[in-house]
Amino acid sequence: MAENGANAMVTLTIDGVEVTVPSGTRVIEAAEHVGVVVPRYCYHPGIPTRPAQCRMCLVEVEGRPKLEPSCTLQAADDMVVNTASDTARTARQSVIEFLLVNHPLDCPICDAAGQCMLQDYAYVTNQLESRVDEPKRIMGRDRISEDILYFADRCVICTRCVRFMRDVAEDDSLIVAQRGDKAYIDTFPGRELDNPFQGNIVDVCPVGALVHEDFVFKARAWDMDATASVCPGCPTGCNVTIDTKENQIVRVKPRHNAAVNSWWMCDYGRGHLVMTNRGVRAEVPLIRDGERLKPVDWPTALDWVAEKIDALGSPGGSAVVSPDASNENLFYVHRLLDRLGVAGAAFRVPQGETAALPTVPTLKLRADRAANVAGAELFGGRRVDDLPDGPAAGGSTADGAAGGVLVVLDDELEGAGEGFGGSAGFFLYLGTRLPGAARNADAVLPIATFAEMDGTFTNFEGRVQRFHQALRPPGLARPGWMVLSRALARLGDGEAVNEVRGAFERMAAETPAFAGLTWDGIGLKGIPVAGSAAAAVGVAASPEAGA
Amino acid sequence: MPGDVKVVERPRAESSYVRAAAKGMSITMRHLLSPNKKTQQYPDEKWELAPRTRGTHRMAVHEDGRAKCVACGLCPTVCPVNCIKLVPAEDENGERYAAIYEIDEFRCIFCGYCQEVCPVEAIHLGVHYENAEYSRERWVYDLERLVEQEHDVTALWDPQDPASQ
Repeated sequence: MAENGANAMVTLTIDGVEVTVPSGTRVIEAAEHVGVVVPRYCYHPGIPTRPAQCRMCLVEVEGRPKLEPSCTLQAADDMVVNTASDTARTARQSVIEFLLVNHPLDCPICDAAGQCMLQDYAYVTNQLESRVDEPKRIMGRDRISEDILYFADRCVICTRCVRFMRDVAEDDSLIVAQRGDKAYIDTFPGRELDNPFQGNIVDVCPVGALVHEDFVFKARAWDMDATASVCPGCPTGCNVTIDTKENQIVRVKPRHNAAVNSWWMCDYGRGHLVMTNRGVRAEVPLIRDGERLKPVDWPTALDWVAEKIDALGSPGGSAVVSPDASNENLFYVHRLLDRLGVAGAAFRVPQGETAALPTVPTLKLRADRAANVAGAELFGGRRVDDLPDGPAAGGSTADGAAGGVLVVLDDELEGAGEGFGGSAGFFLYLGTRLPGAARNADAVLPIATFAEMDGTFTNFEGRVQRFHQALRPPGLARPGWMVLSRALARLGDGEAVNEVRGAFERMAAETPAFAGLTWDGIGLKGIPVAGSAAAAVGVAASPEAGA
Repeated sequence: MPGDVKVVERPRAESSYVRAAAKGMSITMRHLLSPNKKTQQYPDEKWELAPRTRGTHRMAVHEDGRAKCVACGLCPTVCPVNCIKLVPAEDENGERYAAIYEIDEFRCIFCGYCQEVCPVEAIHLGVHYENAEYSRERWVYDLERLVEQEHDVTALWDPQDPASQ
């Protein structure tokens, strides 16, 4: 490649279609440009090593005596590749036939059925009958880490998992043991698999050999709905796909984004996301009725809140927001705070251990355990260690300034005292849950979690990324931006929005950092906000923004 | 008289009921005396059903009495009326089994797809028609009840001629 220069392009013909690709591109990747997906097992775009050992991607190249593995074959000028010639097809069918010699064909109980590359290619190659009379070798199953099961009989020894651990996570604990038909995946003797990124080996497995224990026998592939989302575990904002079944998150998979998480995500994020929607939730709007909180419907609650706020004017006070709130929620809550004369909200960020994937510099499990720390700062929030102890928050000086407002957006108020918010003139609590510390609230408005609504997060380097609704919110809970826009509309500030597009567009119009961004323009891969670190590294990621 | 009503005059022989009544009585008498009487003394006598009759389900069991179902989820997937509810789980041996398996026989249209799709020949339709119940809830058969059924299972195709040629 050096003699061709870095930007040299080569033109080749694949299945009769001419395609021009950068020099150094492998034929298997060039074929994808013309819509031909060459069958593959050991090749994975995120794993740098290409052993060409599965022999599944063999293609015929004119002028060469033997078939070539397209995952290692470099595209060259005037090359004529035929991926579906009789020779290539026969070779592929033989590979499948050999793989099926010992495969248990337990598709009915296999968790990969429906998303299995062995199943797909067995149908594609029409390999429907076996010519083998010998009994199959049976190896059973093994637990290769605390939460990953290995079904050795289903394994095709593509070594994607071993190579992910070795070449991407730089962890040598996984090996191929034995040879030939006795080969299986195992941990190195005396070593344990306990890498914070090991969950990715389940995702790279092309068959059902590696299964996460939390998912085993949970759902069939065709029962699940997949939703594009963003992991809320830390400010990295890994792009993920949430698989749901019957309004429950059953599985989380990383979604490719070269500028953020490449093909991977960490195990903390997976576990965190699956647990996001568990627990008791706030489901009904509550308003203060003397000593008790009275459940009411939305119009009543919002009319009541708007009336109270209107009467208060601009009393000042304090506010606590959650750094897990979406940009739209934060925008609207700050509009409300402006109206009430409250300067900036305080937010607390839980801390945790960090972990990094050595070969992907942008992918780290960061110490801040919240999705939208950058967003919370961008809207004028103040990062604090403890709950505000100021006038309205019921701290020691509470009696001094009774009458100020206290607004809380989805902070669970851990560490709040018995009298938290008791002396505030008006205490508005918007939350997904109803913690005990909200007992002094004048109004409790139930809002949806990020998985139950559309919205955006701003990640650690200022990239705005969209997430989509995967679940129905419980009871009467509604997205925060929907609730707040309605409350503000009653106060004569803007219009009530029913879908996130409206909320986002108003936010973009009124917030300098988001100027020029549109909901559609962000696409599924995100766009850096103006002046952010991500914008400074270059707009390299923008072309794929609309993908 | 509004409109034109056409009055048809019929001959006496045609309009008299005597001849028709006599003919009817003769048919009755003929059947009364016939040796091939068809009335069946149900429920003392029961219908002999065709082997391909499709009635309420029955679950096949292993020798130790466990249901053969492996909870693969194909029958709820193929069921055109969504009358099968299945929740898979893992037993103490790490095998997949149906923690909940319910068929709403009230909703079932007895198409037989579940039997046809079953990879382990566990769920079958039955050669059975007596299904009276006192409540609608009783029509939802759980796994225990499906296993208890004792009637013959439906033959969805003739073993000698599986393609019906």
